[in-house]
Amino acid sequence: MTMPDSLYGAVMLSLIDFFASMVMITGIGVVLALFPLLNRIGKVDEDALRKRQH
Amino acid sequence: MFEQFLAFLGALMDQTGLAHFWWGNAVMIAVGCTMIYLAVAKGYEPLLLVGIGFACVIANVPGSDLTQPGGLFHYAYQGVQLLIVPPLIFFGVGAMTDFAPMIANPKLVILGAAAHLGIFVALIGAKLLGFTLNEAGAIGIIGGADGPMAIFMTIKLAPHLLPQISVAAYSYMALMPLIQPPVMKLLTTREERLIRMKQSRHVTRLERIAFPIVIGIIVNLFFPPVAPLITMLMLGNLFREVLVVSRLAKTAANDLMNIIIIILTLAIGSTMAADRFLTLETIEIVGLGLVAFVFGTGSGVVGAKIMNLFLKEKINPLLGSAGIASVPIAARVSHNVALEYDKENYLIYHAMGPNLAGVFGTAISGAIMLALLGVK
Repeated sequence: MTMPDSLYGAVMLSLIDFFASMVMITGIGVVLALFPLLNRIGKVDEDALRKRQH
Repeated sequence: MFEQFLAFLGALMDQTGLAHFWWGNAVMIAVGCTMIYLAVAKGYEPLLLVGIGFACVIANVPGSDLTQPGGLFHYAYQGVQLLIVPPLIFFGVGAMTDFAPMIANPKLVILGAAAHLGIFVALIGAKLLGFTLNEAGAIGIIGGADGPMAIFMTIKLAPHLLPQISVAAYSYMALMPLIQPPVMKLLTTREERLIRMKQSRHVTRLERIAFPIVIGIIVNLFFPPVAPLITMLMLGNLFREVLVVSRLAKTAANDLMNIIIIILTLAIGSTMAADRFLTLETIEIVGLGLVAFVFGTGSGVVGAKIMNLFLKEKINPLLGSAGIASVPIAARVSHNVALEYDKENYLIYHAMGPNLAGVFGTAISGAIMLALLGVK
């Protein structure tokens, strides 16, 4: 099912897209909020990585 | 014999471009020269405007074969039309970009969606002006202030509008320091503009490396229509953050990016032929693009003010307008407007968070739009 090519379709598309984008980007925000937990796994030695440069 | 001489001369003239030159070509050559002037004399986006301006001039010289099959400008355009160039731009941008401001302050990510109301205002406006829904979607995405994404969406939805939409998108991005501040000041009080932000937390190397991998998975899982762009953005960023392939990251961020900019500018400029460009449609698209930028800026600022109703620690609403994407121009505008009122209020790092989120906001809006319109 796709949007009708009319003003109604444009308004519907806009409403759905705006709110769905809001929800999705909030979801990404939630994932990013969990990122500090990664630091419990361990630590990356930056100096060692720089030495291993190719 | 004299008549024969004149006939040969006439036939010779017909083979030159001069016989096909009309006033529209003169106008567009003037437009191209103005672009070069703005780039050289005023410093407006020289990396883009010099190439676009020159290709625009050449595309309006009748008889030039460069824009025809076999000509280099034609193949540059093929790179855009076949969607090879936009993902490569994102690849270079990823290698140039530090996403730490976005990772450090996830709540500001919401502003990357809030500042995209302009997309939908322009979309509805375009529909009211008689454009088809697909064309209206492509025009609306100008409000995402993201050049490669605007090109990507236009190729998918309304390829015949590529010259107008790409020129409008890149021109308004260059003009953001003029468009945004009046809207930002209109919607904020002096007290709000003076709000200082707390220093962001340190983002570790592990988080920086995890970011492109996690986002790459999320985007391919949930937003496959725009995955080519964001995936390349994340690959470029991974090259940058892992530190072990800095040679590749530097190539992506510098040499490759420069080559792609040359191809992109020639491709856009070469589509600006007078017969395609000098139409009422172009004026309408340019007008709608401005509407999109103004509403996007406004909705971002209002979005930040709404967030402040719920936050204990208030954020500076000037950060909201940075959510419109156009990295890093919009973030710089937020920073500069704040500095006008407090010389020590440095917002740039904080503004980069919503600014980068704006790239994802535009991509997500685009993906949802393509899905709703049934375009693959």
